[in-house]
Amino acid sequence: MRTNAGNLKKGEFVYHGREIWQVQRADFYSPGKGSALMKTRIKNLLSGKNIEYAYKSNEQVDVLDVQSIEMQYLYRDSENLYFMDERTYNQFSLPLNIVGDVYKYFKDGDKMFVYLHDDKPLTIRPPLSVKLKVVEATDAVKGDTVTGGAKKAVKVETGVTVLVPLFVKVGETITVNPETGEYTGRV
Amino acid sequence: MNIKINVENLKNYKIYLQVEQAVNEFLQKRGYLKIDLPVLSPVLIPESYLEVFETEFRYLDKKEKLYLTPSPELFLKRLLAYGVGNCYYFGKSFRNSDPSTTLHSYEFTMLEFYKMGADYMGIADEVLNMLRYINKKVKNTSQKFKFDKWEKISVTEAFEKYAKINEEELFDHKLFLKKAKEKGYRNDGFSYDDVWSQVYTSEVEKNLGVNGYPTLIFDYPREFAALAKLNKDGKTTQRFEFYINGMELGDCYTELTDWKEQDLRFKTEDSKRKKSKKISHPIDKGYIEALKYGLGDCSGIAIGLERLAMIFAGVDSIKKLKLINIE
Repeated sequence: MRTNAGNLKKGEFVYHGREIWQVQRADFYSPGKGSALMKTRIKNLLSGKNIEYAYKSNEQVDVLDVQSIEMQYLYRDSENLYFMDERTYNQFSLPLNIVGDVYKYFKDGDKMFVYLHDDKPLTIRPPLSVKLKVVEATDAVKGDTVTGGAKKAVKVETGVTVLVPLFVKVGETITVNPETGEYTGRV
Repeated sequence: MNIKINVENLKNYKIYLQVEQAVNEFLQKRGYLKIDLPVLSPVLIPESYLEVFETEFRYLDKKEKLYLTPSPELFLKRLLAYGVGNCYYFGKSFRNSDPSTTLHSYEFTMLEFYKMGADYMGIADEVLNMLRYINKKVKNTSQKFKFDKWEKISVTEAFEKYAKINEEELFDHKLFLKKAKEKGYRNDGFSYDDVWSQVYTSEVEKNLGVNGYPTLIFDYPREFAALAKLNKDGKTTQRFEFYINGMELGDCYTELTDWKEQDLRFKTEDSKRKKSKKISHPIDKGYIEALKYGLGDCSGIAIGLERLAMIFAGVDSIKKLKLINIE
């Protein structure tokens, strides 16, 4: 499908120089001299490299038709993450650098959407929130409770560190936005 | 679109108010007259790269088209021609088809001031003094820039330095489009202006105002003359823009006072608007009449107040200055 670059949205997949890229950011920009532009950051889905590219807003861009299928995240090794389509039992793999740091918040068995194009996996759609158990934390120091916004670092079951409010304790399950790594609440 | 309340931006909004106050104080101390202006006008200056908002005045069977002004220039230049002297406008301007992003909004606050007898570099001195004044007046500023001097670079030098495009290639349309294609830009069906703007945004802008001082980039190709006077070389125009941290904050011209030349440019801009199917509006003929009456040498600048306040508040989006955002 062809569209004006001015219509591009975050998350869409485009052909750029014959390769497939995912739009990470797309901002309208009018320099007041010449045509308006769409300033984008796009990620190459082969190399994982990000580039900044400013399209003319009326420049035609090829947008890929993709399917998003809910799959089970099985496990990962040093290079790839492995997923299974639970309806067909077909397995797919995606390189760590394509998925990005979000994978550090995933537990085996988590469900998430994988984007496919011509039956080949492109990348995942990260869940908005994941549930993670706190495995290591220091107790709040007495008197610290007055500073409402204060945060401490805790370790969660996947091994990453998350900044949480002081009242969060070991053994509690918290919700985290995997894209930003931010604590969003308790379960 | 929805109305969003952002009371958490109160601290930034207060810095915005301090910037506004400092600007008013600075200009009034120097004898600039503050001028309140209509934001609805029956005619506009044709500008090919701006889309406008159209509305209608209705009374019984009478209907008349009105347009929200994308800039106060059409009113201020009339007043200058008829003798008001140094003056400024501080208020809302409207630009349709500018989606709300970190640096854009379809309605924004514009400061536009004019100085009689000055050229664009005279305005540059005034702006630098204004930046120093704001920096002194605004409390709790988290901005890290110094305003002791401009870093000045011509558009020609900037293309050579940052885009490796030499002077000959920059001004010759064919050579420029060829060079841009070699660099990977698409030029099929696009004009020199369009591709120029893409290269400028991609390769030049991000380097401007990033060394701790504001950058003044001057002498744009004549294709971007708009309402500015041409230089003697015939290729460039007396227009500068200034940047802090890769962000454009202001656009200044030595004002074109030749009515014949201005009339011609209006016609060109109007036909470009028609070609790109923009909202058609009556051309401001009174503006040409004012130039015919006679406008003395003068120069003026338009500065985006939100962007200016972003620098002093140390925030990366105009939305962070607002208590109410419409998104």
